[in-house]
Amino acid sequence: MNRKHLGAIIVLALAVVLASLAATSKAATKRQAKTDTIVLYASGDVNVQSLWQQYIIPGFEKKNKNIKVKFIFSEHGVQDTTTLARIGAAVKQRKWPGIDLVDAGLVTTLATDGLTQPVTKATAPNIKNVDQKLLTPVKGAAIPYRGSSVVLAYDSKNVPTPPKSLGALLAWIKAHPGKFTYNSPNSGGSGYSFAETVVDSFIPANVLKQMQTGYFPNLESNWKQGLDLLHSLNQYVYQGVYPNGNAAVLDLLGKGQIWVAPVWSDQSLTALKTGQLPPSVHLTQIANPSFTGGAAYLGVPKSAKHKVDVYKFVDYVLSPAAQTQIINVMSGFPAIPLKLMPKAIQNKFADVSANSLRPTYAQKQQSDFKAQWQQTVP
Amino acid sequence: MRRRELREGAQGLLMVLPPVAVIAVFIGFPVVAAIAYTLGRAGGPNSVVASLGQRQFIVQHGVTLDAYRDVLGNKTIHRDLWATVWVTVLATLVVVVVSWAIALYLRLADTRLARIVSGLSVVPLFIPVVIASYAMLVFYSSDGFMRSVAYHLGWHSFPTLGFTLWCVFLAEVWVNIPFGVLMMSSGLNGVPNNLIEAARDSGASMPRVVRSILLPMNVIPTVIVATFTAIYVLGSFTVPYLTGPTAPNLLGPSMSNFFSAFNQPQQAEVLAIVVFVLALGIGAVYVWANVRTGKRSAVAP
Repeated sequence: MNRKHLGAIIVLALAVVLASLAATSKAATKRQAKTDTIVLYASGDVNVQSLWQQYIIPGFEKKNKNIKVKFIFSEHGVQDTTTLARIGAAVKQRKWPGIDLVDAGLVTTLATDGLTQPVTKATAPNIKNVDQKLLTPVKGAAIPYRGSSVVLAYDSKNVPTPPKSLGALLAWIKAHPGKFTYNSPNSGGSGYSFAETVVDSFIPANVLKQMQTGYFPNLESNWKQGLDLLHSLNQYVYQGVYPNGNAAVLDLLGKGQIWVAPVWSDQSLTALKTGQLPPSVHLTQIANPSFTGGAAYLGVPKSAKHKVDVYKFVDYVLSPAAQTQIINVMSGFPAIPLKLMPKAIQNKFADVSANSLRPTYAQKQQSDFKAQWQQTVP
Repeated sequence: MRRRELREGAQGLLMVLPPVAVIAVFIGFPVVAAIAYTLGRAGGPNSVVASLGQRQFIVQHGVTLDAYRDVLGNKTIHRDLWATVWVTVLATLVVVVVSWAIALYLRLADTRLARIVSGLSVVPLFIPVVIASYAMLVFYSSDGFMRSVAYHLGWHSFPTLGFTLWCVFLAEVWVNIPFGVLMMSSGLNGVPNNLIEAARDSGASMPRVVRSILLPMNVIPTVIVATFTAIYVLGSFTVPYLTGPTAPNLLGPSMSNFFSAFNQPQQAEVLAIVVFVLALGIGAVYVWANVRTGKRSAVAP
């Protein structure tokens, strides 16, 4: 082979490469013009359904004309177990599970079992705004997109200046017998949060950290002091009774039987909106320590299709515009810092969100705590 | 002849086989598995629940009673057990007495008022237990109807019964009265009028008629009402959950706490077996009464 030939071959090869490049770029532009469909699975109550179906998805599709969102809704999570099995099986075989994004309680299971895409691989700029502490309980594999916290509700007619710290709250309870109660921890998260907060105030920070991330039965002796204090409150609590369920406490508050109680932020804001609670009931957060809270997570299965589009959608969900809708529709808690939100929202949460969501114990630790409360407090 | 009997027997067995198989598979098998689990066996059908539960007592070989010791040695459970027994006994007694009285009134005085009373007593049958429990709670709460009326009548210290075992007891009676009245009145209506008239003609007083004729002829419905009410109250959940105190409460809410909130399924199943044994005792009375009357009616038709 002489040089002339070589040159010709090189030219030919270059031409072929260039042509194929042109062809692929043409194909790429063609594909961009085509619309992609991503599949979102959500479970929960009708407010979750309307949040996605009437607000977030239409808002996103308007901005991203070439991405369609197909919405699968499972009321009260009746299909959660089968969906979990389906995603688990598909991810293990590296096949598309038919779902690209999940909003359900099963996300935390998926994340801790390593079936979802870690957040570090997400291509959504807004994720960096999310509170990093909320990623710990899900091993960094799920995206918190809204939260709700336990807050202190008080009737401003009878309690003009609410207690601002846990110590002040305990003093208030003792000064006003029968005007405070919380639901039994085993029957709902708001009462649980109050009990855990009292107990936490006696626990060293490093022990607390362990209980929040794992299950350590040998650390449970640390609860004694707090449980004793809770037991001593029996005589000051409304009729010495801890009602069953979050709603039962709201009911007592609404009827004016009690003046102060720990409640879920979203549940009580909804109750205020519907009139179940009178407008004189206000919400605030206490300090040292604050009540606990929790987040709802989005998860992207590892074998999801169109991950770029999925993260575009996630990015939109975490944008101030969508977060505002979440607050308005769900009375939820924003997942991004308040300073990024519109002024009106900032004012609404001025009292409540002085602190970020304080994490609770890990699941098994919680179960043991509820059992010990039941045996020692009432 | 012999072959025919055999064939008929086989046919009968075949016909009864499907329901028996259904019960064996869907009830019998889970019960056996649950009993094995309470005795510390975590293999086979129990492996899933055992992999999730906390505070379990598991053995690889043989059986252990540690789970029973753990539950029955728990002071909170003692209090719950006694509360359950007391509420069950009291509610059953009151349901039997009240439904007897209403049924008797209807049987003897067939007036319009009697019919209205018996009609009203069946109303609770058509009201869901959740609604009834909540209504009961509101009715007896500290700002409830009963206290308001008592206050206006000058009784200022009327007790607040909401969230107490008394409220549970009242609600259980309320829920169980209709069944009692229906059973008792159908039993009393089955007593032929001519028996009562004959006794009256020979000079028996009304109390005597009740004691010597109506009471003995209404034993089975009474036993049915007593046993069914007792078993219902023993295993009830909604009423004590909504109207009862935090502690002590009946075993129904306790069981559900152990199962879901405390994540201790083994302890919950031990409690279920305790309730089952209590119910078995009550059920034995029912069977005994049935067999006795069956024998008696067979001897003297």
